[in-house]
Amino acid sequence: MSPLHFSFYSAFTFSSLGLAFHRTHLISALLCLESMMLSMFIPLSIWPVENQTPSFALVPILMLAFSACEAGTGLAMLVASARTHGSDHLHNLNLLQC
Amino acid sequence: MNPHAKLICTVSLIMGTSITISSNHWILAWTGLEINTLAIIPLISKSHHPRAIEATIKYFLTQSTASALILFSSMTNAWSTGQWDITQLNHPTSCLMLTMAIAIKLGLVPFHFWFPEVLQGSSLITALLLSTLMKLPPITLLLLTSQSLNTTLLTLLAISSTLIGGWMGLNQTQTRKILAFSSISHLGWMIMIISYNPQLTILTFILYTIMTSTVFLSLAQIKVLKLSTLLISWTKTPMLNATVMLTLLSLAGLPPLTGFMPKWLIIQELTKQEMTPMATIITMLSLLSLFFYLRLAYHSTITLPPNSSNHMKLWRTNKTLNTPTAILTALSTTLLPLSPLIITML
Repeated sequence: MSPLHFSFYSAFTFSSLGLAFHRTHLISALLCLESMMLSMFIPLSIWPVENQTPSFALVPILMLAFSACEAGTGLAMLVASARTHGSDHLHNLNLLQC
Repeated sequence: MNPHAKLICTVSLIMGTSITISSNHWILAWTGLEINTLAIIPLISKSHHPRAIEATIKYFLTQSTASALILFSSMTNAWSTGQWDITQLNHPTSCLMLTMAIAIKLGLVPFHFWFPEVLQGSSLITALLLSTLMKLPPITLLLLTSQSLNTTLLTLLAISSTLIGGWMGLNQTQTRKILAFSSISHLGWMIMIISYNPQLTILTFILYTIMTSTVFLSLAQIKVLKLSTLLISWTKTPMLNATVMLTLLSLAGLPPLTGFMPKWLIIQELTKQEMTPMATIITMLSLLSLFFYLRLAYHSTITLPPNSSNHMKLWRTNKTLNTPTAILTALSTTLLPLSPLIITML
């Protein structure tokens, strides 16, 4: 495994572990999601260079556009949870538990 | 909700689903999943109630994590094998990650905690969309990759889904939560057969969609959200309550009704593959869900409330039954005699 592969695999792994185990604020969950997407941007943009497939060069931009949409939706829900629950603490979201 | 916004959301929901189920490239499938997730979010949160917002946040976090995991697994596979085709997922680690991501997306058992809560926070029609239309793209991805996935892991997921779906539904009094747990246990039956006979998974999914749409649409028509409302709803539309009882028994899989067909075929296929212990276990576990279906059926028709003086009497209004409910009720109760035809068509 080259250092490049190791760097983005470990970036993805650590940010998904952060999303799974650090559950205090909604904003930190959204940041972890965004860093998962950004760590996938690196290999997707190296792929057309290493494999000489210029038709694949659009894909990282497509992925970045969708991750921007996701981040925008996440921030909209941050505002919505601040208006309905008073804060962005994830332990406040307990109205629907079994 | 603004009609234009509703139109845009519905159109993108249909478009995202059709992009995913007709794609051959992982990037396109991921795009369809993302469009689907982003389109259902306004439909869940449209009431601006704190419960709706909470359901939206939970749905968004789980679905976007699962989408990122799907893209990551396909990218790992592409870097090691050079293939972006959905059907050529060969790397074992990415198969494992894909199984996990799809289990998160569908709400299979180790990752099922979001599903009843999201259903409880949304309206009945949105809950119907969440448990039928939003399950179609992940099931399709699972079908396309089914020959390379780990059979033992899938069987384990299936058995535990049927167990937990039946078990946790026993204690509920809210109809949406009961239907969510019934969805989890039906998904267990679908995942059980997927590596032996993928056609049966499609058949089970279609029949489950028909039956659960009938239940959700009927409950939406008599506005029933919990069991005590179901108990006094017989004054509104008595015929609809009788057909709800039949549909619930069909969902439980009792023999003369449609819901028996997929269970029958799955048990037959498992016996052919010499997996009789698994077939016995999964059949016994579906008895658990039979218990809460029977309780719903009992509350809908068979019994009267013991406290008749306290409840506000509901007027019997002359509502016309809408046609989709009637057609879906007929399909979800009387399709069993047509099973040879359906098997041939698959």
